[in-house]
Amino acid sequence: MLKITDLHAYYGPIEALKGINVHVEAGKITCLIGSNGAGKTTLLNAISGTIKRTGSIIVEGKGEIIDKHSRFIARRGIIHVPEGRHIFPGLTVRENLETGTVNWHGFFGRQPYDKELKEVYKLFPRLEERKNQLGWSLSGGEQQMLAIGRAMMARPAVLMLDEPSMGLAPLVVQELFEKIVEINKQQGIPILLVEQNARLALEISHYAYIIDGGSVKLEGSSSELKNDPRVIEAYLGKFAKKN
Amino acid sequence: MNINTIVSLSVNGIAMGMIYALMAMGLILLIRAIGVMNFAQGDLLMFGAFVTCALTVDLKLPLWIMIPLALISFAVIGVIFMFTVYWPLKDATYPTATVISTMGAAMALKEIATLIWGSLPRSMPPLMKNPKTGKAAVLNLFGIKLQWQFVLTIIVGAVLIWLVFVLFEKLYAGRMMQAAAQDKYAAELLGIPTILTTAATYIIVVIMVSTGGYMIAPIFMVSNTLGSLQLRAFAGVVIGGLGNIKGAIIGSLIIGLVESFSTIQFSQYKDAVVFIVLIAMLLVRPQGLFGEKVADKA
Repeated sequence: MLKITDLHAYYGPIEALKGINVHVEAGKITCLIGSNGAGKTTLLNAISGTIKRTGSIIVEGKGEIIDKHSRFIARRGIIHVPEGRHIFPGLTVRENLETGTVNWHGFFGRQPYDKELKEVYKLFPRLEERKNQLGWSLSGGEQQMLAIGRAMMARPAVLMLDEPSMGLAPLVVQELFEKIVEINKQQGIPILLVEQNARLALEISHYAYIIDGGSVKLEGSSSELKNDPRVIEAYLGKFAKKN
Repeated sequence: MNINTIVSLSVNGIAMGMIYALMAMGLILLIRAIGVMNFAQGDLLMFGAFVTCALTVDLKLPLWIMIPLALISFAVIGVIFMFTVYWPLKDATYPTATVISTMGAAMALKEIATLIWGSLPRSMPPLMKNPKTGKAAVLNLFGIKLQWQFVLTIIVGAVLIWLVFVLFEKLYAGRMMQAAAQDKYAAELLGIPTILTTAATYIIVVIMVSTGGYMIAPIFMVSNTLGSLQLRAFAGVVIGGLGNIKGAIIGSLIIGLVESFSTIQFSQYKDAVVFIVLIAMLLVRPQGLFGEKVADKA
């Protein structure tokens, strides 16, 4: 669905990504694991076109996007849910969801989006309960649901989630990850997941990439990597096998 | 003080308040959209007054051609203003750079106006004239005499403010503009064209402010000192509570009324009275009449 080849990205003179090859398969959850500063978020920003990058990013059936502006990338259905949620604080929940439709709707568009809205409310009933509340007044978990819901309004071809578990209580994380699996299973939307909680990420994903120092160190199916001694040592901790 | 004086002073005050409100609302729209206080607001008003004066007096255009032509030139001024004053500095590491640049723009506008139209104040005919005398038309309301120009200023100001509210609150494009103003990064990721929303904000602001200039041109003379009116708009914004549009409008109307009624007793000191009210407000209620709509969540 998304084929990334030899991707380089820069922050000024510093090379943050040193030739990354990642393949997001259609209908699968692919996850990126790595420590702080490994380049996971940079990779997502490079795909969505918010930082300078070179290399090749090919969207299946839609062509090369490496030279495109973030606006056009969003229009091709590559939807990035950023780290820290970034919902619009002064808009209501419903208005926040509405903004998600702009990529297929156009700036002045007036097509109905009731179908999308209904599906998001079905996925996250909590959002419907709070549809007239302002974005900033939601709890962290609700904000994350809203950020994902807003991305679902955009009719995503690929969904990129950056640290959805950040700062959330374990029970909320559990619920959220069930929803992510549901989105992938029921609608077949491929997901590129960046996650610090390596165990959880390997649990729900099909394929995983371990990123360190701006390049891919290891890749393989998630079930394999879960039992790889190097991964256990570095990211899961030595008691991981007992689970 | 009889009822006649009270009503006519109120109408004058509200009319001036409307002008300040147009500027104040523009200030807040810009603060929200790009996070910058625009110190060229008053000089944009001055420039608008000069442009409409040139179209009406020099070119002698009838109103129905003058208005669309004026609106188009305001929009063009807005876009030029954005790409010269804000755009080159938008990624500056030092955020005050853009604020300084608006101060420079204020001086530039003043000088451009002087270069084109000279430094002498020009007079502008009122929108409605008495057909017999050729002077400003007067509305006789149950024996109370009101200048039509003030009444029209109130109507035009209120309609403009209402239109901007409708745009932002009711229209899809307006909500996209709000979203882009609140979080540019997230807006980009969703595919909202932020360059378009910023340009639209500049166009709306310049149209509001310049139309204000057009409406007060017959009341004052058209001169390059009109820009100093922006201090009243700043006062209105502070009284209303920074960042709150409704508050800024009410604050501006209060400033207009205070100014108008202070002319009874101390006409020379009306500026002082306005700023005493402002200082008193800052002492008693520094957050303004209305607080921020969006609070920071701990």
